[in-house]
Order: sequence, then structure tokens, then C-alpha cells
Amino acid sequence: MWTIIEYLRKFRRSSRGVSNVIVIVLSLVILVIIASNVILWSYQMNQLDWEKMQENLTVSNVVNVNITYSAWLTIQTEYQVNLGSRMSGTYIDTKAIDGDWETFQEESSPPTYRLDINGTFIIDLSTYSLSLIHTIEVQMRYRTSDTLEKLYLKAYNWVSNTYSDSDFNNTLGHTPSGYWDYYAIKFTTEWRDYVRDDGAMIIKLHDEKNDAVRTNLEVDFLGVRVVTSGAFFTFKNNGSLTVHVVSLWIINSAIHNHYDVNVFINSGENGTYLLGNAQLPSKPYFVKAVTERGNIAVYSPN
Amino acid sequence: MILVRRFLRNKRGVTPVLSNVLLTVVAVAAMSLAASATYVITDNLHQIMGERVIAEDVWFTSDGISIYLRNTGKVAVEVSSVYVNFTSQSFTPLTLEVWEHGWLNVTFSWDAGGLYHMNIVTSRGTKIVDYYRVPS
Repeated sequence: MWTIIEYLRKFRRSSRGVSNVIVIVLSLVILVIIASNVILWSYQMNQLDWEKMQENLTVSNVVNVNITYSAWLTIQTEYQVNLGSRMSGTYIDTKAIDGDWETFQEESSPPTYRLDINGTFIIDLSTYSLSLIHTIEVQMRYRTSDTLEKLYLKAYNWVSNTYSDSDFNNTLGHTPSGYWDYYAIKFTTEWRDYVRDDGAMIIKLHDEKNDAVRTNLEVDFLGVRVVTSGAFFTFKNNGSLTVHVVSLWIINSAIHNHYDVNVFINSGENGTYLLGNAQLPSKPYFVKAVTERGNIAVYSPN
Repeated sequence: MILVRRFLRNKRGVTPVLSNVLLTVVAVAAMSLAASATYVITDNLHQIMGERVIAEDVWFTSDGISIYLRNTGKVAVEVSSVYVNFTSQSFTPLTLEVWEHGWLNVTFSWDAGGLYHMNIVTSRGTKIVDYYRVPS
């Protein structure tokens, strides 16, 4: 016991080798830095490269999905009358083409009779995913008491916060005949600006300008419907790892269309993906599927 | 008080203490420099090893060549040079964060049906090299 205590005292008194100890400790620090920064990282990147080599994804088929139309989606609450008044009927009468209608009348401020109403329509996004929508159509069946009127449909643009028809296929409005007329419009590819993230759309109906005749407007039907279409991809994962497809390309001599996607395909399984709002061009074309690890699968139809 | 005076007057053992202190300071300084240099060098290696970029698509347009790059590595990537047929070409600057992707637009006058060797070099020296043929 006394011997051990004596050795410890000698050890405490001895200053020789302190710098050696410091050098050894700091050398260990350097080794740790090298190990963590180079060796472990190298191992991680090697694993990444190894996983990339193990991936084996093929695009086995791509076909166009025909254009399909949803049922007409109609208003769920009463129209908001901004200019004019509601004479008779309710919004229920505008939900079907059935001979029951809702009547509106231009505002009473002669000689400037004006009419402006709008209604909110909801697209059920659980049924019609935004990514699958190709475009949206609006249709109205109506009759007016004055054939000199001209009516315009517009939609609320959630990006510019204004009512607009600039992205309609027809911006000329509709002139009534005095009988029951159909007024239909279709959005261009910019339909997304008019649909809120929760699927809400606001459709406005107004007349063209001031006139001297107070007109009655009978609306038998007003509804919107969703047009869906797309390209249907079939993948085959022949590798031993799950594949994450992050990018799809549709390419021909004129177009190089890129789409960000998020598709996981388990090892050994087939996967499918409907790329909404996309159409395959006429042949020859080819498609590419890019994985998160950086592999590219190419498909070209015969 | 007396003990303090004795301690201050006692000059024995000063040299060994000074030498030890000096050696320790030198050792700490030298090893700190070595550790810092190691960190800087390995960190650079670390970033070079983590770089991965792929060219998803090459499009020969009327304005030149557009190359769609995707950063699949672990560090941000900056394109520093583009060579077409071993000749440096001007391009719009492009920096891609991790998982980012985008078009790299290269100013180049190509010929239909031509075969071009392209070499895209990042600021850390990673290269994407391949041949691309222009559709006839």
C-alpha cells in the first residue's frame, strides 16, 4: 500500500512527458477528425454509390388516359347578388336542367340597369385530385327578358385577386336569344389560378354595360365540371432496394416536358402512376423516369 | 507572509518549470495548427466526396444547349465550367442545393445531326462527361 502511494507521489511530482501526453491527446483528436470526416463519410458515400448500382428500375409501359368528365358540380349556398335583386326561386332551382329556375332582376337605378351575381362552387378534391385535372368547364342554361343584353361569365383568380375571363377559351360573352340558351366556357391550361387549394371556385355572372331596359334573368342551371386526363406509367422495380421516382420526362423533337413526382416502388414490385394533366405526344417520343439516387430509366414505344 | 517572501526569494527549479511550460506551449500550438490543418483538408475532402450530380436531360434549342442537372449528393453544387468538344463555353450561372434541380443553359451554336462531347465541371472538380448527338 505504501509502495503504491509512493509511486503516485512520484508520478504527481514528475513533470517529464507532459508535452508527450499533450501531443498524444491532440494526435488522437486529429485521428478522430480524419476518421469522422474522411473514413466514415467515405463509407457513407460508398454506400450511396453501392445502392445506386443496386437499383434496377424499368418503365414497362406508358399510355394516354382518355379525357373523362366529372358530374356537374353545382352551388351549395344561395348566390350573392352584388347588383340587382333576386326575384323568385332559390339556388336549388339552378342545380339541374329541369324547368325550375331562379330569377334575378337588374338593379333599379334607371337608366343604368345592371346585374352582377356570383356563387361559390366546391370541387371535391378527395374525388378529383388537383394533379389529375386537365381543365374545368362551366355551363349555364338561362333565359332573359331582353335580347339586347350580353352576359359574361368570369371566375375569381386567387393569384391576382380579381375576377377574370382571360384564361377562358371564350371571352366574348354570350348574347341571349330570348329562349333558353346554353352558355359554356372552358378554362385554358391556367385553370389552377382559379381553384383555391381547398377546391373552391367563385363564378361571377354579369351583364355587359348600362342599358335602359330592366332585364330579368332566369337561371335554370349553372354548374362546373372537372375534366381529367393524363399519362399512365407502369414501372417495374427489379432491384433489391425500394425505388423513389422523383422526376418524369416526356420528350420528343419539339417538347421536353418535366414533371416532379413522388412515387415509391417496393423491391420486386410493379408500380403505376397517373401523371395528370399530361398527354403523350405523337410518336416518336420517349419518356424517362429519374430516381432519387440518380438512375434514369428510359422507355420508348415501338 | 513569511512563507510568501521565502517562495518569491527561492530561485531553485525555475529553469525546469520554464522549460516544461515552454514545451507544453509549443506542443499545444503545434498540435493545434496540425489539428486545424487536418480539419480544413479533410473537410474539403469530405465535400468533394459528397458531390454527386446527374444530367437528366439535354435539349438542343435554338438558343444553345440546355442541360437539366439534378444534385443527388450531400453538398451544394456550383457549376464552374462547361466544355463542348473540349472548348470552354459561356453559360448561365447555376448553383444547386442538395436535391435541387434545374436547367443549365449553355450558349453554343450546334449543327443538326452533330455529335458533341460535353464536360460539365463543378467548383470542386466533379465532372459530368458524355457524348450527346443532336437529332437530325
